[in-house]
Amino acid sequence: MPRGSRIARRRIVWQLISFALVFGCWEVAGRWPISAAFPPFSQTLLAMLRMIADGSLPNAYLSTVQPLVIGVVLCGIAGIGFGVGMGLSRAVEWFTLPIFIILQAAPMAAIIPMITYVYGIGLTAKVLAVVFLAAPVIVMNSYKGIRNTNPSLIQMCRAFLGTRSQEVVKIILPHAAALVFTGLRLGLAMGFIGVVIAELLITPTGIGDLITYHGSVADYPEMFAAVASIILVAAVTIHGLERLERRLFPPEVRGS
Amino acid sequence: MPARTKISLSIVLLASLLIGLSCGEALAQSRTKIRYALGDVISVDDLPLLIAVERAKARGVDVEITAFKSEEIATQAVINGQADVGQGTPYAALQKVSIPIRFFYQLFALQFFPIVNKEFYKSWKDLDGQEVVVHARGSGTEAILNLIAKEQGIKYKHMSYVPGSEVRALGLLKGNIKATILDSTNKNYVMKEAPDKFLILPLGQVKASDEALFATREFLEKNQAAIAVFLEELIKITRAINANPNNVLDERKKLGLLKDLPAKLEDEVLPFYQEAVKNGIFPNDGGGERAAKNDLEFFLLSGQLKGENLKVEDFWHLAPLKAALAKVGN
Repeated sequence: MPRGSRIARRRIVWQLISFALVFGCWEVAGRWPISAAFPPFSQTLLAMLRMIADGSLPNAYLSTVQPLVIGVVLCGIAGIGFGVGMGLSRAVEWFTLPIFIILQAAPMAAIIPMITYVYGIGLTAKVLAVVFLAAPVIVMNSYKGIRNTNPSLIQMCRAFLGTRSQEVVKIILPHAAALVFTGLRLGLAMGFIGVVIAELLITPTGIGDLITYHGSVADYPEMFAAVASIILVAAVTIHGLERLERRLFPPEVRGS
Repeated sequence: MPARTKISLSIVLLASLLIGLSCGEALAQSRTKIRYALGDVISVDDLPLLIAVERAKARGVDVEITAFKSEEIATQAVINGQADVGQGTPYAALQKVSIPIRFFYQLFALQFFPIVNKEFYKSWKDLDGQEVVVHARGSGTEAILNLIAKEQGIKYKHMSYVPGSEVRALGLLKGNIKATILDSTNKNYVMKEAPDKFLILPLGQVKASDEALFATREFLEKNQAAIAVFLEELIKITRAINANPNNVLDERKKLGLLKDLPAKLEDEVLPFYQEAVKNGIFPNDGGGERAAKNDLEFFLLSGQLKGENLKVEDFWHLAPLKAALAKVGN
C-alpha cells in the first residue's frame, strides 16, 4: 500500500475514534444522567431521524437558509468591495477600518435584539444579524489579503512599467484571492451563528423555532437534535468550502 | 477593684458572650432559605409575591428571588437543583422529566385580551380565514386563540409567532399586526395610544394558570414548615388584594418595594390590580384541585400535555396548600 493512502487511512481511523469518544461520553452523560433534561446521544439521533422523516427539519432549513444566503451574498459583494477598497486606499482604510474592528469586538448577542428597534422583526432584521457577524471577517480578510501582497511582485510589475490598474488586476487581486476566499468561508461560519442567534432572539422561525418550540414543550431529544443538526450542517458546509479552497488555492499558489 | 471581683466579672462577661454567640447561631440556624426562580424580570404583577416574601422573612423564612431570562431557564434551575421553587406553568417538563416535580400553588390565572384592528375586523367571525399573531408555538396565547376558534367554529388562515406582548402591541400600533392577543399592561397601553382604532373581543371563560409555583416533591416534604409560612403569607396578601386592590399600594409603600419603578408605570399599578381582581385571576384559596383540573384541560388542548386520563396527583402536590389553608382558614 502506498505511504500516502496508509496515512489517509490512519487519519480516518483516528477521526472516527474521536467521534466515537465524544458520542460515547454524550451517551453515558445522558444515561447517568447529568441532568433529567439531558437526553443521551442515541435518543437525540433517533429524534433527528424522526424530524427528517416528518419533514419538520428540512422545512426549518428552507426558512433558515433564506436570511443566511442573502446576508452572506450581500457581505460577499459589499464586504470584499470594502476590504479591497481599504487595502488599496489609505483614505478608505482610515474611514472604514475602525467600524469593522469595533464590529468584530462587539458582543453580537447583545446587539442583535436591538436591530428589532429599527428594523422590526421581519426578514430584514435577520439578514442584518447575519451581516453584522459575517461582514467584519470578510472585510478584514480581504483587506489583509490586499495589504499582504508580496512587495517584490509589485516592484517587478513597476519595473516592467505596469500601470496601477495592471498592478491591481494582475498582481494584487490574484495574490489576495486565497485570503478573500478564506474570509468568505469564515464569514459563512459567522453567518450560521448570526442566523441562529437571530432566530432565537428576534422571532422564532426555521431552526430557531424548532429549538424554542421543543424546549418549551420539554421535547429535549428533539431540541438537542435541532441544535446538533445546525452544528452538523455548518461543519459540513465549512469543511466542504475548505476543501474547495485547498483545491482552488494550493499551497504553491498561496505562497506566490 | 479586688482581683476576685475582676475574675468574677471576666467570667460573667465571657459567659454572656458565649450565650450571645450561641443564641445568634441558633437564630441563624432556625431561619430557612428558599431559592426562588422567577422566569421573567420582576415587575408590577409580582407585587403580591414580593409582599409575601417580605412578610415570610419577618417570620424566619428567607425567600431569595432570582429573575431568569425565561420560564424554561427557571424550570431547568429547579430540575437541576439550583433553585428550590420555580414560577411558571411548565406542565410539559413536569410530565417528561424523571424527577417528581409538582405544582403546589396558583399565583394567578391567565389574563389575556384578544385585540383587533377595527378597520378590518369587528367580531370573532371576521377572523375566519385570517392571520392572527400569538406569542410562540405551544404557548398559552396560541392555546387561548385555538380554544376560541373551536368555540366559535372558525379557522384561522395562519398563526404567526411574535414573542413579547410589548412587541405585538407595537406591531398593532404600527399597523403590521391586525389581530393578536395581549396582556393587561400592553392592552391598556394600546387602548390609551389609539383608543378608536382597536377593539377587544370577548374572551369567555379561560381559567388556566398563568403563574403557578412548583418544586420537587422531596423539597416540599423536607421543608413543610417553611413552605407553610410562605403559602400562608401568599394567601393572606392575595385575600387582602381581592378585598381591596388599594392594599397592594399601601403594602408596597410600607415595605418599600419596587422603588425604582418608572414614574409612568406608577399610575398603572392600581388599575392593573383593579382589573385583575374584577376578572378574578387571584385565587383566594391558592387554586388547589380546581386550578389543577382547569390546567390539565387547558394544557392538553395547547399541546403541552399529552395522553389521556391525566391525574391531578401526577402534577400537583396539594398537601402544603391544604395545611396552609387550615391555618389561615378556608
